[in-house]
Amino acid sequence: MNLYVYTLRRLLYIIPVLLGVCAIVFFLFSVVSPDPTLIMLGKHASVQQMEELRRELGLDRPWFIQYLDIVKSAFTFDFGRSWSTKQEISTMIKQGAIPSLTLSLPAFVISFVISITVSLMVAFYRGKFLDKIAVFGCVSMMSISSLAYILFGQWFFGYKLGWFEISGYDYGFPDFIPYVLLPILIWVILGLGPEVRFYRTVLLDEIYQDYVRTARAKGLGEHVILFKHVLKNALIPIITNLIISIPFLILGALLLESFFSIPGLGAMTLNAVNASDFPVIKAMTILTSVAYIIFSVITDICYTLVDPRVRLR
Amino acid sequence: MAAVEQQSKSLWQHAMGTLFRDKMAVVSIIIILFYVIMAALSATGIIVADWTEEVGPSYGSPSMDNWFGLDMFGRSVLAKTIKGTEVAMSVGLIASLLSLVIGVTLGAIAGYFGGRVDEFIVWFYTTFTSIPNIMLLVAITFISGKGLKAVILALGLTGWVGLCRLIRGEVMRHKDREYVHAASAIGAGNYRKLVRHILPNVTHIMIINFSLQFQIAIKSEVILSYLGLGVQGRPSWGIMIDDAKLELARGVWWQLAAATFAMAIVVLAFNILGDSLRDALDPKLKGK
Amino acid sequence: MSEEKLLEIRNLQVQFNTDRGAVTAVKGVDLDVYRGKTLGIVGESGSGKSVTALSIMRLIPDPPGKIIEGHIKFKGENLLDISLSDMRKIRGNKIAMIFQEPMTSLNPVFTVGNQIMEVLDLHQSHLSKKQKIAKCIESLDLVGIPAPEKRIKEYPHQLSGGMRQRVMIAMALACEPDILIADEPTTALDVTIQAQILELMNSLKEKMGMGIIFITHDLGVVAEMCDEVAVMYCGKIIEESDVFTIFKHPMHPYTKGLMESIPSFDSTGIEAKSRLKTIEGMVPSLFDLPKGCNFQDRCSEVTDECRGIKGPPVLEDLVAGHKAACFNPLK
Repeated sequence: MNLYVYTLRRLLYIIPVLLGVCAIVFFLFSVVSPDPTLIMLGKHASVQQMEELRRELGLDRPWFIQYLDIVKSAFTFDFGRSWSTKQEISTMIKQGAIPSLTLSLPAFVISFVISITVSLMVAFYRGKFLDKIAVFGCVSMMSISSLAYILFGQWFFGYKLGWFEISGYDYGFPDFIPYVLLPILIWVILGLGPEVRFYRTVLLDEIYQDYVRTARAKGLGEHVILFKHVLKNALIPIITNLIISIPFLILGALLLESFFSIPGLGAMTLNAVNASDFPVIKAMTILTSVAYIIFSVITDICYTLVDPRVRLR
Repeated sequence: MAAVEQQSKSLWQHAMGTLFRDKMAVVSIIIILFYVIMAALSATGIIVADWTEEVGPSYGSPSMDNWFGLDMFGRSVLAKTIKGTEVAMSVGLIASLLSLVIGVTLGAIAGYFGGRVDEFIVWFYTTFTSIPNIMLLVAITFISGKGLKAVILALGLTGWVGLCRLIRGEVMRHKDREYVHAASAIGAGNYRKLVRHILPNVTHIMIINFSLQFQIAIKSEVILSYLGLGVQGRPSWGIMIDDAKLELARGVWWQLAAATFAMAIVVLAFNILGDSLRDALDPKLKGK
Repeated sequence: MSEEKLLEIRNLQVQFNTDRGAVTAVKGVDLDVYRGKTLGIVGESGSGKSVTALSIMRLIPDPPGKIIEGHIKFKGENLLDISLSDMRKIRGNKIAMIFQEPMTSLNPVFTVGNQIMEVLDLHQSHLSKKQKIAKCIESLDLVGIPAPEKRIKEYPHQLSGGMRQRVMIAMALACEPDILIADEPTTALDVTIQAQILELMNSLKEKMGMGIIFITHDLGVVAEMCDEVAVMYCGKIIEESDVFTIFKHPMHPYTKGLMESIPSFDSTGIEAKSRLKTIEGMVPSLFDLPKGCNFQDRCSEVTDECRGIKGPPVLEDLVAGHKAACFNPLK
């Protein structure tokens, strides 16, 4: 199979997956969920009131029309209006995207750079004391609840030491910076454990390959072996992991945003959950899923570009 | 047949031997057993019969009488932590069993029968993984009406994908092995071949995944409880951490510390046990 | 002897630390390699033959492995004493090595040319880029790869197993080493390709005048390739001699057993009618070696002597130039 056929097939596979996502969203929110009119009007609503609201929300239409609506929204990003704020959801998403990205993008980059550096160091000293400490450290860090990191970080660095802003956000550069510093720091610390562990595993998987023995037999030094031979092979899983985590950046960090009152998409989603705002939850689910689907296709295509073995298969 | 059984038995014995020589693994098992016992004792009311009991002043600090201090209503934080253990253990156990059953069933069917069935199951889990886990968790708990059952259901229904993939791959590898052909030669049907011959060869994946899933469930329960979607009207580690949000500024750290440590220690134990199990059971990784 | 002695190994001992305690995988091996000669090391898996080879390159994975005794003198210089950076100058330059798995021994993400160039960059940095490329093409040509100027731009996965092994050989020979260590270089290849590779190695030995250490479990290959043969069992050499003597008159029952387990062919190429024999029993675990001779439980000639009263048998000259470690050598 050549690259074009592969790419085309991969692109076409988006369609059934997208229809599937819409089906799951439809199933969850329109089939098995409790009647939203009950949630919105409370227990004492009359039957007539409920009927009216159902018509207003379009819930009285046949199920396949409602399903098609969801599918349509996945392409047009027109998700209708929020039940609680009555705003256009697409406008809300546009507004929320900026604060989210100002937090998640820098955090993502810094976190990657630090984690990959640490894991290269750890892989270089594999089996030695430093490596053992690092592995145990990673597992320990992963075992502590992310809530505890956020709470403690906010209290200690923000409140006790007073180094950072604890809450709020300002639009525009560079006004937003003080508000995102502490969340970014906490994000980086949160990511350190799982990421170093993952990259270390990836690097070590390569270090024990036969071609590394060949490289040593040629007389290459350990540094060249690690940074040239091993790293280029390890790039494949590393890039995969990196690209596939990009879609989650849209959500920002649900918890961080809500703790630090940053008006991003994550906080918006949590508010929607608290207010039983179905359209917003649905919109965010579809949006992140679409992003995930697109990025997983990109990952697969990148994969064929980086790895010469896949190219001609 | 007898010879094969003996061989596999000795493989398991060998793995168990490796596991029990690993001191960290043994310590982890002891810790997990301790948590399980605490949870069982608390569930049967033998200890902490009434956690709502007021035993001292509001926000009483840790003392000889109340090791972990008291909360806003003067209730023992230790009692709440133990009650939280009960929630965490039951969520971990039932949710991971649920995802185990779903993952193994779908994975085995896909891997064994292949063709259309396989394509359908692959499509299903590709679709499923396309939806961010947190959104699914939120949606399922929301819909099944908040509370302990909802949390277990949500975690069980979302945690199966990784296992399903692994089992599918392994079953595919095994189904063309000689021993399976031999089984069909003596007239074994699909069900017998799959359940009696292939699945015992992938048990190690189930065990490793179970211990991984257990701690993921415990961690997720804390987040869901914090979001207000978790257990209602009884203490859980997530709710305790949520309470601590307002307490830290007053210098009340013990509720946060108790819940965090209680959780971290058991999750750490599961993590270490998971790694040791992998070393002991997965022959591919041996020698590394 | 008039030949130039390139390598001298004396009393080499290599230990591995495992979960179940330390094992000595190589126990007191003595070997010599001469220019223009091929030394064969024969043994089953676990006999310590690969570990011996890796020790010469100092490529024993450490941890868990460690060379605990002995010396390996290359042209009079003990390789176990020099610094790691000096050792790197010898690897791939003076002593080169090829491996059993041609499919995985090349790095999949670099081109063939790139990987050969790397050796030249490292050890012949005085050459210009052009000269290096020319040399790279020349070495591929030497190992019989057609259209080498095209091949240097290809990736390993585009080549067959035999071609990859040729690339490995080209890479090993790029710096015209004094010694080539070949660790089961043809085991993973088809029989016809195997014959081609062996022939290639023989002709290159003539052309370049290097010493070869050829490691294999296949006595048939030994007959074709080697001048001297050392048979290893459980980390020790149990018989050593020139290739004609050992085939004509094996002294150790183990060697004889190995020979009887290879099919022999008469001059017409039809398999001889005699039944193949196998060596009974299994190689003992290194954790649980019997006292005395390690081969006692599988040996047809076993006597009480072998069971440990006198300790293990010592490798000694039984006939001039023919050594064996056996209490009851075959006549």
